[in-house]
Amino acid sequence: MAAEKKHFVCVVCPIGCEIDVVHDGSKIISMAGNKCEKSEEFVIRELIEPMRILTTTVRIQGSRWPVIPVRTDKPIPKQLFPRIMRQLRGINLQAPVNMLDVVVKDVVGTGANIIATRTMPRG
Amino acid sequence: MIMEADVAIIGSGPAGLTAAIHAHRSGARKVLLLEREEELGGILKQCIHNGFGLEQFKQDYTGPEYAERLIKELEETDVQCFLNTLVTDLSSDRVITALSPEHGALEIKAKSIILAMGCRERTRSSIGIPGTRPAGIFTAGVAQRFVNIDGYLPGKEIVILGSGDIGLIMARRLKLEGASVIGVYEIMNYPGGLKRNIVQCLNDFNIPLYLSHTVTEIRGKERVEGVIISKVDSDLNPVEGSEQSIKCDTLLLSVGLMPENELSKKAGIELSASTGGPVTTEILETSVPGIFTCGNVSTVFDLVDYVAQTGTVAGTYASRYASGHVSGSGQFVDILTGENVRLLFPQRYSFQDDLVLFIRAADPVEKPVTIEVAPLGSRINRPYARPNEMLRLKIPKGKLAEAKQSIKVSIREK
Repeated sequence: MAAEKKHFVCVVCPIGCEIDVVHDGSKIISMAGNKCEKSEEFVIRELIEPMRILTTTVRIQGSRWPVIPVRTDKPIPKQLFPRIMRQLRGINLQAPVNMLDVVVKDVVGTGANIIATRTMPRG
Repeated sequence: MIMEADVAIIGSGPAGLTAAIHAHRSGARKVLLLEREEELGGILKQCIHNGFGLEQFKQDYTGPEYAERLIKELEETDVQCFLNTLVTDLSSDRVITALSPEHGALEIKAKSIILAMGCRERTRSSIGIPGTRPAGIFTAGVAQRFVNIDGYLPGKEIVILGSGDIGLIMARRLKLEGASVIGVYEIMNYPGGLKRNIVQCLNDFNIPLYLSHTVTEIRGKERVEGVIISKVDSDLNPVEGSEQSIKCDTLLLSVGLMPENELSKKAGIELSASTGGPVTTEILETSVPGIFTCGNVSTVFDLVDYVAQTGTVAGTYASRYASGHVSGSGQFVDILTGENVRLLFPQRYSFQDDLVLFIRAADPVEKPVTIEVAPLGSRINRPYARPNEMLRLKIPKGKLAEAKQSIKVSIREK
């Protein structure tokens, strides 16, 4: 892959360095704007595959509220968010549910589970 | 029903929960926690995103997980919780009047009281947007409640005015749920929210942020049909000829938060013009003896970790006050805002504990700065100062003994 320029805002710490990177798709050729070396690892991870925790809600029956908050139990590729959201639309849990209960195992083959982030009692 | 309590806490969000736990741990016997909603946890219940407790617990919790951790700690105490209980009055001699379907009209005489009512969102009328008054205009926090707790979308084509953190979080949330988020418009020339929220909520989802822009008109009769966006000049006045018409069905407002102090006013508590919350000392006692304050009712904090920190202090000192251990002689010095400081918390120092100062800059400085605390000669360096990121510093009690008159805090470029 030919060299390409890309702009990043590093979120490793609150300073949020604005970094201009020249890269070839997987390696950094040059970078400018970062105040420390931690940005390097961040930029490489962002170049290869940006990973994020997904937080959302799914439907639930038999409880006070019609939805329950959930998240992935580890960061997953950001680009899979729309696919996972589509899958979660079809879910309808039954109360009671405990915090950290697994709602979906190995969601879309990521190795990550979707877990409940609150306890939802019946009623 | 007439009741007595050692410590009574109004509000069970992160501040109130932490204060209740620490009041109990510091030895208060009868601790009462009053909550107007049907569940404990306050606004954390609807903040389903992660990023909570990084500093306090070294964990990346979502809001509900953070709340549940505190609630579990509370359940190990004998703190009594009154849910669905609305406090309607508070007097300077520490009597709370409250209403509850279970207990009826309540009169609670407390040896000490902790204010933990949190804050409110500024609304359309706070910022005065002209135009019609259709449905489809929500504050970001109300929209957050609709989506994350009640389970429905407030609209499909969304414009967000203001770049406060809740607005940024909701931009991402609504996009994930399939709405079209047209853009976030910010009147200032810098964003209101934290930088990592700009990155992870807007940039990650290709949602544009327009600085120095505002909504100058809302259109639509029954439902919002669109808004007029204008650029603003350096005095924040709309630039004529820059108007742009945007079609949308929903306008979210994320234009700031204000401490909720209706009850504090009833008790005659002195409020700070800059924070909107009670004027307090470092032990978080208000101008009314025995009434303490913590969390966003005091001043709006950026992080839940800061809120919990104030809850710990208020809980501890309210408990000491209730048991008669008050060391304060009533002597204090004022802490004053100097150069480039918009607000300070606390605003007084009473020589009883270390001083943990929260400082919000007036204008952004993207260069190394020195925070100067006069006349102590303390100089603390920071890589930058931004109005959207509170600065925090701790000055040990020993160093403050020599503060005879007022203390003045300034932020200067190095």
